[in-house]
Order: sequence, then structure tokens, then C-alpha cells
Amino acid sequence: MAFVTASLKQANWIRRWAVAACAVLAIWATGCGHKEERADLVIMNGAEPESLDPTIVTGQPDGRVAGALFEGLTRFNPKNAKPIPGLAERWDISEDGQTYTFHLRPNIVWSTGEPITADDVVYSWRRALDPLTASDYAGQLYYIKNGENFNTGKTNAATGNRYVKEDVGVEAIDPRTVKVLLEGPTPFFLDLCAFRTLAIVPRQAIEKHGDRWLMERPMPTSGPYTLEFWRIHDRIRVRKNPRYWDAANIQNELIDLLPAESANTALNLYLSGEADVIWDKNLVPSELMDVLKGRPYVHTYDYLGTYFVRFNITRKPFDDVRVRKALSLVLDKKRIVERITRSGEKIATCLTPPGMEGYTSPEGLGYDPEQARKLLAEAGYPGGKGFPTFNYLFNTSEMHKQVAVELQEMWKKELGINMELRQTEWKVYLSSQSQLDYDTTRSSWIGDYVDPNTFLDMFMSGNGNNRTGWKNPKYDDLIRQANQERDPVKRAKILYDAEVLLVREDPPIAPLFFYIGVNIFDPAKVEGVHQNLLDEHPLWPLKRKDGRTAAKAAAAK
Amino acid sequence: MESLSPNQRAWRRFKQNRPAVVSLWFVGVLGLFVLLWPLFSRPAFANILPIGLTHSAVKGSDAQYSPPTLTHWFGTDIHGRDQLSRIMSGARVSILVGIVGALVSLVIGVLWGAIAGYVGGWWDGAMMRFVDILYSLPSIVFVIVLITTLEELAKGWLTQKLGANVAQYCRMLFLFVGIGAVSWLTMARIVRGQVLTLKNRNFVDASRSLGAGHTRILFRHILPNVIGIIIVYITLTVPSVILYESFLSYLGLGIQPPFASWGSLIAEGAGQLNPVRVYWWLIVYPAVTLVTTLLALNFFGDGLRDAFDPRG
Repeated sequence: MAFVTASLKQANWIRRWAVAACAVLAIWATGCGHKEERADLVIMNGAEPESLDPTIVTGQPDGRVAGALFEGLTRFNPKNAKPIPGLAERWDISEDGQTYTFHLRPNIVWSTGEPITADDVVYSWRRALDPLTASDYAGQLYYIKNGENFNTGKTNAATGNRYVKEDVGVEAIDPRTVKVLLEGPTPFFLDLCAFRTLAIVPRQAIEKHGDRWLMERPMPTSGPYTLEFWRIHDRIRVRKNPRYWDAANIQNELIDLLPAESANTALNLYLSGEADVIWDKNLVPSELMDVLKGRPYVHTYDYLGTYFVRFNITRKPFDDVRVRKALSLVLDKKRIVERITRSGEKIATCLTPPGMEGYTSPEGLGYDPEQARKLLAEAGYPGGKGFPTFNYLFNTSEMHKQVAVELQEMWKKELGINMELRQTEWKVYLSSQSQLDYDTTRSSWIGDYVDPNTFLDMFMSGNGNNRTGWKNPKYDDLIRQANQERDPVKRAKILYDAEVLLVREDPPIAPLFFYIGVNIFDPAKVEGVHQNLLDEHPLWPLKRKDGRTAAKAAAAK
Repeated sequence: MESLSPNQRAWRRFKQNRPAVVSLWFVGVLGLFVLLWPLFSRPAFANILPIGLTHSAVKGSDAQYSPPTLTHWFGTDIHGRDQLSRIMSGARVSILVGIVGALVSLVIGVLWGAIAGYVGGWWDGAMMRFVDILYSLPSIVFVIVLITTLEELAKGWLTQKLGANVAQYCRMLFLFVGIGAVSWLTMARIVRGQVLTLKNRNFVDASRSLGAGHTRILFRHILPNVIGIIIVYITLTVPSVILYESFLSYLGLGIQPPFASWGSLIAEGAGQLNPVRVYWWLIVYPAVTLVTTLLALNFFGDGLRDAFDPRG
């Protein structure tokens, strides 16, 4: 307000003093902040996590941290994301593939020293399924006997009682053995065991502190790291858990995970040496990819990820399938991948990305503005007349905004309808989606295991990740049927039929493109960042090659 | 020697102030351009005007990230939108917010100050202490809190009562009200000071003895005498409100897309600053336009002040 002060100095002296005092305070406060040691590795991790509770988290940035703190019966092989023994050292699978017996490692303990037992496993899984936990990912445990019945509060027809947690098909035979009964032969069950929702969480801490258990210290963890601190919008710092069963193979001591929503901020931090790794799909500086692609620190790879638009089926006019088809048919996806995302993404008409063994997705709706205008007219909005202005929800990110502006123009140009942009931060975005508080929204899905089911089962009516209000009984039946089927070829055919419903006949979504993974790190300095189909990057194999670690730096002081 | 009215003398003084006159011309031409801009993209003008003037601010094209050329004088952004037309349409928002914000502050400030000064006594003390309290609050923080806490509520209410088409202007409404509500304080002080000196003048006594009511005295006799200084101050408030809005937009709390203001254009351009490659035209042009306009408005306001009050 220099203009005001120039003319009316005396009137403004109070404000000036206030500003000066604030400035002095700010300088003093930063000056006092004790200098923190630099972590071995600083990683740009994406949006600020919604939670660190592995049972609750749904987003990728959140999941990476939760996965570092809590481990499941299996864990991901960092190179190819296949499940390898985690807290369980081995397991037996019955002939029919429906009974798993897990043998826990003898030496596993919480980071606070108490042993991890089979009871903890049973507790963790029942908690994930408990309707009171309200985990959006509870669907990952529906493959366990009575898992779905318990989670959705069904009544047992035989006894007339509601299903309770004791009915769930997981039991502790002895302190080191867990027996799991499944609903059907689930070929990807071991993959699921490595997934965060099935990670083992500390019963004592949760029962003692309730919802605040993540805030209490010490927080017992079952994974390779303990939580040092979580400062909102600053950083999450994790430290190697010396009591982890495989502590000898953890290649680092201290890791900082920085939240960032702007790709440019992340890149600037990397190029100035403040960060060592950038690995979130939202932190790809897409405008610069044409230049960056040739640089030695930029690594691109395929993975199972799809970018799509969800429609809110519970709101007019999106309850009309013709409207949804019309909106989908005018999307010029080629323009989006060539001009906005620019990393070599392939355009998508279906949800399940290519790369799944034994499964080929159906062709979904393509680009046909003529047909779209016809459908919209049939739905009662010829030339877009009378179509209400609707919103498009997306989380803060330059790239999402650019895609949104493109969509806005395509819909306006081809259909004459008006879309309004609604940009929110990550947490608001996630909660608006799950409460169906939007008209259309930007969405993405990354495979949790290498099987089409990880993309398709989320659109079953009861699934917490459905987030469209779409309910199609035929679709639900097909998915259930597929997971009872033992013959892989027949199973693929059933899943194919289901996906036809999802992307062609009654689409609640409009796929845009398949992601290309981009990791940014200098291979001469950092190793252990592996590129795999699931975009999984465990923290424990990360290693600084120049040997500079926090421990050494501290010793040198 | 010819006899001149005070206003004519002021105008003569103003004309001798070169920076102020140049600024007035600049603001005038810019204002004209901004007002006429939407007409330029009509087909009728396609052959008359140079092509660089005929783009639409919201329409994308295939010319992505084009540097300044003869077709796109100020270059284009990622969607191929012409930067010059974006700045022009951003100017509509920025200047509109500036003028309306200043008017809001004018109405509140003049009424508050005039009443406090005219009534005097206990009321004067209470009203001016209230102004002091508001002065001590960091005003930009006040606006931020106002927007973040009340916007969702207001938006829901507007959607319910007037429909989504009106509700999308909610943010702009909040900017008007919010910025206006924090920029009236100085105005109130100045007006009060003027009213205090004027209310004991002879002509006021005269009019009172002729039986004029308080309202009449205040609005017909006192305020017209303050009008000069009010105009001066209002021209200085406009640029400060524009700057407020740009600052809020830069933080992401101002105008939301698809609307753009100078602040949000600068924020977009600043997002492009990195060591790999810089699309300089995305930041330089909006920033230069903003700075030049603010400078011009301030020179103009200073010129007016000097002209109306040669002692100041």
C-alpha cells in the first residue's frame, strides 16, 4: 500500500509499525529455528497426505508413507512389485486355492519392542472391515470369507443375526500362525497382503488412544521405519526402525518426504539440490517434458495407471446415460496427451490399461462429436440448451488445471454446455469425491496388483472407491462371478463383459489416457528407485551412492 | 486578470503537471481499449484491424506457447490462448474490482467519517476508536479469513436462491465486499477531519439559522466542500485495491478460472519460472501491464491532489 502511505503518512503509521513488528518477529522466529540435520534422502512425495493410517489412506502419496511405517504379511519386491515374504516368512495354500495358512516370522516385534502376533493380524484385518472404521478400501478384504457381509452389515440368513467381526474368515491358530478362508480362489490374494489396507497396525495404541493414535508418541510401527515427525505442509520425516526384522537391509537412516502440489516447485527444489528424488505422478513438469526427456536424471516407464473423469450419477443431468456418453464422445484425447501431458501417454477409451497378462480391454467410446450432439438432443438438451452449468472438481495441480481448461473448451465448443472449474486441495478433493459432492471430477487409478480386478472391482455398487453413485447389478454379478472362476481364460472373458458395461454401454466414467511414469533422480547419486508396473517405490532399498548419510554428517560435526 | 473558479484553477495546475497528464492519457487509452476489446473479435472487424487485436481470450488454438509474433503480439499460453487478449480481459476484472472496491470504500468511508465528524462528542469518539481497532488488524489477513470461512456458505445459499449461474460470481462479490470493507478506513478519517473544520464555519451557521435540518446541512453544504479531496483519495484507492486483488489472486484466493485477472495471470506466469526453460512472455507482459497501470493511476491521483490542494 505504498501509494497510500506516500500521500497520507501520518494516518498510516500504526499499520506501518504493525508490519515492521511482524517482519521483525518473522526474522527472529526463523533465526531461532534450530538447524535441522539434512536427511539422507529428500523425496518430493506429492500432495500433503490425508492420513497415515494404512487402513484409511487411499491416495498414492499417503500410501507411500503408510507403507513405510506398516507392513503386511507380504511386501512388494521393489524391482517388479511382485509379493515377497513380509511379516510372514512362508505360507501354505490349499488345493482349491481358498485357504491360506500364513506362518509369521519368529523374530518380529513392534518398533516399541512388543512381539507382533497372529492376534495382531486378525485384529488389523477385522478393523479394516469394521463399518465403524469406514475404510474406503475395505473392498480389498471382500475376498475373505464374510468380509463383505460384515462390512456392509448384512444379516446371516442361517442364524438371523447380523454378521459380526468373529464371522470374518481369519483366525489365529497359534501366536505365529494365521489361517485365512476366502470366498473364492483369488489369484491375487498374496498381492493384496502386501497392500497397505491389509497392513498390520498396533492394536494397543489404537485401543488406548482411539482416533488420535497417529499423534501419540511413541507410535509402534510394524514396517521398516518409525515416524519421526509429521509437520503439515512442511515434511514427514521417517527414521529406520532398528527392530524391523530386515533392518540389516535398510539402505538409509533418515528420509524426508516433502509435500508439494506444484511440479515447478518440485523441479526447482530438485535442480537446486534441496531434493534428491521426485516420484509422484502429479509432480511431472509436463510443459518441460520435451526438453527434460533427454536428460539423464529423467526416467520414464509404463505402469498401470489411468486418468479419467467421473460423473456423479446421483445428480441431474448425469443420471442420464445419454448425457454421459455425449460428454465422453467429444473428448479430443489426442489433443490432451500431445499438448498438455506431453510425456508420451497413450490415449484411453477403457479403464484397464494394457500390460495385464491374459487380458485385453474392450474398445470404449471414441471421438464422435456428431453422435454426441445427437445423444444430447435426445436427452432433451439440443445444442446444449437448458443444460445446467456444472462443476468439475480437481485437486490443485498445474496439469490438472490445464486438462480442466481443455475439457471446458471441448464441452463448450462441441456441445454448447458450460462447465465451471472447482479447484481444491487434496484432502478436500478426496472427501468431496467420497461424499459425492461434485458434478464431474478428475480421477485417476493406479493398479494395486497386476490383475484387471484392481481396476474393475472399484465400480461395484458397495465399493468405497466407486465414488460415482453408479449401481449396476449386472456389473456386480459379473465381477463376483469372475472371482469365483478358476479358469483364467473364462475369467478374462467375464471381466471383459463387465468392462464393456463400464466403458461402453452404461459408462459412469470417461477415460482420458494411460499414465506414463516419470521419476526424477540422478542415478549417479541415488540408487534403489525401481520402476515397476504398480508405481510402487518402497523406501528401504533407497541408497545414496556418494555415501553421505545423516549419521556420518553428525559424526563429522 | 481574468477571474477563475477554484475548479478551473485546479484544472490549469493539473495540466502543468506533465507526468499526471501523460498518466491520464495512458489510463484513458487503456480503458478505451479494455472496453472495446470484446468488439474486436467480431467478424466485422476481421479485415479492418491487425490480426493481433482480434483474438478471443477464452478460445484455444493450435499455436501452443508461441513467443510474441505478428499474429500473437504478446505470445500464447499452453492452450494456445492469445496472451494480449488474456491481459485485456484480465484488465476488465482487475479494473472492475478496483473501481467497485473503491466505490464500496467511498460509500462506507464518507458516511462513517461525515457522521462521526458532524455528530461529534461521544459518538465521534466511539466511531473513530472502532476505525482505530480495524486499522490495527492486518487487512489482507482479514480478507483471506473472510473468503475462506464464509465463501462456501454464501455460495451454497446463492446456488439455492438464485441458481448456479449467479453463484459462480460469488468470489467476485466477495472480493468487492471484502476489499471494500478494509479500504474505507483512511477515507473515513480524512472526511471526518474535513467535516470537523467545516461544521463550525459561518455558512453552516447561516444555513442552520435559516432552519435547515441536519441531513440537508451535511449533504448540501458540507459534503460538496469535501468532494475535491474525496475524488483525490478515491483515485489513489483504485490502484491499491487492484494491487490487493492481484495479491489475493496470486495466492489463489482471488478470481477463479475461467475468469482471469492480472494477478492470476502473473501467478500463472510465475509458475513457469524454472532453470530449464522460461516462457518469459507469460510473466513479463502481465507484470509490466500491472506495474505501468498502477504507476499511472498513482501519478494521476498525485497530480489531482496537487492541483486541488497546492499546499499539500
